[in-house]
Amino acid sequence: MSEKDLSYELIPSTCAYCGTGCGVLLEVMDGRLSGVLPQKDHPVSKGALCLKGWSSHEFVYSPRRLDKPMIRKDGVPVECEWEEALKVVAEGLQKARNEHGPDAVGFFTSARCTNEENYLLQKFARAVIGTNNVDHCARL
Amino acid sequence: MSGLEQIIREKLANGSDAFLCLKNQAGVSVPVLITSPDSEDIEVAELGEVRYPLGKILIALQKEHPDTRLAVVVRGCDERAFIELSKLEQLDLDKLVMIGVACTPEEAEACGCAKPYPEDVTLGEKVENPRGLETIERLESMSDSERMQWWKEEFSRCIKCYGCRNICPMCFCKDCSLENPHLVEPGVIPPEFPSFHIIRALDMAGRCIDCGLCEESCPAEIPLRSLYRKMQEIMADKLDYRAGESRDEKSPLSFLGEEAEIKNLE
Amino acid sequence: MTNSINELEDTHAILVIGSNTTEQHPIIGEKILSAVRKGAKLVVIDPRSIHLSDFADVYLRPRPGTEVAYLNGLAQVIISESLQDRDFIETRTEGFEELKKLLADYTPEKVQEISGIPADELVRAARIYAEAERASIVYCMGITQHSTGTDNVLSLANLALLTGNIGKPGTGVNPLRGQNNVQGACDMGGLPNVFTAYRKVDDEAVAADFESVWGVDNLSRKPGLTVTEMIEKAAEGELRALFIMGENPMLSDPDINHVSKALQKLNFLVVADIMENETMQYADVILPAASFAEKEGTITNTERRVQRIRRAIEPVGESKPDWEIICAIAAEIGAKGFDFNSPLEVFEEIRRVTASYAGITYERLGARGLQWPCPQEDHPGTPILHEKVFPIGKGKFTACEFREPAETTDEEYPLILTTGRLLFHYHTGTMTRNSPSLTKEIDKAFIEVNPIDAKALAISEGDMVRVASRRGSLEVEAKVTERVGKGVVFMPFHFAEAAANVLTNTAYDPVSKIPELKVCAVSISSLAV
Repeated sequence: MSEKDLSYELIPSTCAYCGTGCGVLLEVMDGRLSGVLPQKDHPVSKGALCLKGWSSHEFVYSPRRLDKPMIRKDGVPVECEWEEALKVVAEGLQKARNEHGPDAVGFFTSARCTNEENYLLQKFARAVIGTNNVDHCARL
Repeated sequence: MSGLEQIIREKLANGSDAFLCLKNQAGVSVPVLITSPDSEDIEVAELGEVRYPLGKILIALQKEHPDTRLAVVVRGCDERAFIELSKLEQLDLDKLVMIGVACTPEEAEACGCAKPYPEDVTLGEKVENPRGLETIERLESMSDSERMQWWKEEFSRCIKCYGCRNICPMCFCKDCSLENPHLVEPGVIPPEFPSFHIIRALDMAGRCIDCGLCEESCPAEIPLRSLYRKMQEIMADKLDYRAGESRDEKSPLSFLGEEAEIKNLE
Repeated sequence: MTNSINELEDTHAILVIGSNTTEQHPIIGEKILSAVRKGAKLVVIDPRSIHLSDFADVYLRPRPGTEVAYLNGLAQVIISESLQDRDFIETRTEGFEELKKLLADYTPEKVQEISGIPADELVRAARIYAEAERASIVYCMGITQHSTGTDNVLSLANLALLTGNIGKPGTGVNPLRGQNNVQGACDMGGLPNVFTAYRKVDDEAVAADFESVWGVDNLSRKPGLTVTEMIEKAAEGELRALFIMGENPMLSDPDINHVSKALQKLNFLVVADIMENETMQYADVILPAASFAEKEGTITNTERRVQRIRRAIEPVGESKPDWEIICAIAAEIGAKGFDFNSPLEVFEEIRRVTASYAGITYERLGARGLQWPCPQEDHPGTPILHEKVFPIGKGKFTACEFREPAETTDEEYPLILTTGRLLFHYHTGTMTRNSPSLTKEIDKAFIEVNPIDAKALAISEGDMVRVASRRGSLEVEAKVTERVGKGVVFMPFHFAEAAANVLTNTAYDPVSKIPELKVCAVSISSLAV
């Protein structure tokens, strides 16, 4: 066998589920996410996880994962290239703003995304589109 | 160059394809597989104060890469796990080079296993350890119903995280009885008492190598180790078998299993 | 949380209200039980008996929606038995006399009439909380998701102020934030009225500040719409385009039939997500997003601990991290200020505009994180808030009168439905329902019905029943159980095929705009033949 193929890594990260923020190690075997271990000396979880945390790698390769952008054509979502999807999004948001004003556009940011992503989306809503219609599921 | 760093370089230069140990990453110890003498990880490799289920990692590695020659830093518990896993045909010891590390007196005392060192100690100094059996002794002084009540209360905190099973280096079955809906009702917490915990305790008979990772990983702080230690005591008393001690002697339970299977076929 | 998670293990009394901690924050739930084993007293108040109530010294089961009444009742007992912390009230609070006056009406007997909590049990609970040297309040959506959500929280704060249980280890008013980064999404200005660090959009100086950092001159000073309001405006045709990142309102929002109509009315809907979901059926564009294992960044937990997530694998398929998606859209429009090459670069900008994050760097976070406020790079982070003073100076008692929930029962809809989550699933199930270890445990919806109600309605365990509210109806399997009291039914909302939020009410709290997901009126009938 070629030993170049052999790789095994444990990447320290934070559990993707609730707000407790338990420490996880993501197990990667030969480039594929293969499991989760609890981070032993984590300040909150101290080496424990619940079943959601233990199994948080399982959905990653689900057949229901979206793997290509889609645009609705004649009422049906059709796969397309990123370039086209981004163009349609940019045009759609600008059209709504130009025709109906910035407050006719809204943004749901996400408690499931990172700080950086939340920051960028509210900045985009406010600085680019010009609206404060930005909120997320904190209340749900 | 630290002792460990020297050993890693030496093993990688002398026939090992990869080296499994711990490293310091972002201020914490995590297992690392070093596959090249040029790896930057060699400089941050460490013995660490935490333990991970290396047996589990090795099973997965050998399954994907059966011909790889691996060197691995082992404590006493790791070595016992590897020996028992090899007898259960989950690990190929011929493809493993073990570098033994003895637990420090503090580590040994905190953990409480009877043999906090492997057969050959390369790093650290052997210390003997009086096995911590206080909980078992306390339990044995109780009446049957008191003891049942005590365990019932302990297990009432269980949230079915399966951490005891998932972290256990000796648990490798694809189909786990704990997930069999005929044996344990799914989706209910705490899980049925005592079936859930009895099933796991029985699975540990002749197998548990007393590493204590189960108890360490239990968010409910259930004294699981005492239950499995009791199983090991019974195995030692009645069948004269201690998991992970001898490389040659097979677990009597594995013989019984095979015979039972043959009988069923007939 | 004002305090930190681990402090719960070493406190003397814990009051858990409207939080099924074991199921929603399992590791925190176990820390509460650890405290109980060390001798802490536990009071659980919840319309539904939960895992923690099995361990409670006092378990109170109120009628849903009566929070202000029983919280006022607890405060009334504390004052009438002189259990309050006079020094603390004197030096660090204001408004005590006004509160005292209002509370006089909330005797245990009156509270029993309103909430169904036995008067003597209420007194026991109040004594446990007030007599402990240190006591902590833990709460969750069972307190907030009411049309009186803000009053509920203020009434809880009254208890902590009365007893001086704030600003010290093992005390505090501790909301458990649900999602992994709901704290961070709020900190980052993912709210209609504030920028990062809760700086108000309608404050001229603040807006001017952001204009100079962002290099723009047109920031709106008008607070925007909340999620619930955006759905409303979409239905009315005023909101024309909506960009949804990582949310699934077609399952998580109240009155799904209404959400569906609103989304269909939009001219343009974009949905970015990792997984197929129920909201996508109306999307004009669907963007595949990378999961937590496929990107770098930070998230902030319920105790304000900022932590790293790290990229373990390449994005699956052609998916991209959301930060890249947003930057790419901005580039397409030609907008300046989005040419970031990594989340690290974004974080460096966040630090510049967010005082509470200013001292945090990726390097400092390591694998243990830091708790904000952390204003300078040599600041160790802040495990406990309000140790010396409150941000507003003195802590303010706010006297709130009890109001009934927006929807009450009647002959047609005689039962109260309350909704919630299960240990083995998460929110709308896009992740958990695609995880075999979790679906093996449970993968279908149910409704819990008290045996007395079940008998009256001729419903047996396992029967299919029709549940209807003023907004919609669904069919679901019944579980007959004493976990819920007479007159109350419970449903988890994870399951699209019997989506509890078809039934729920969009009435919301006037201040926080949180919908009343914990109380609505329903009817049930058996479908068994």
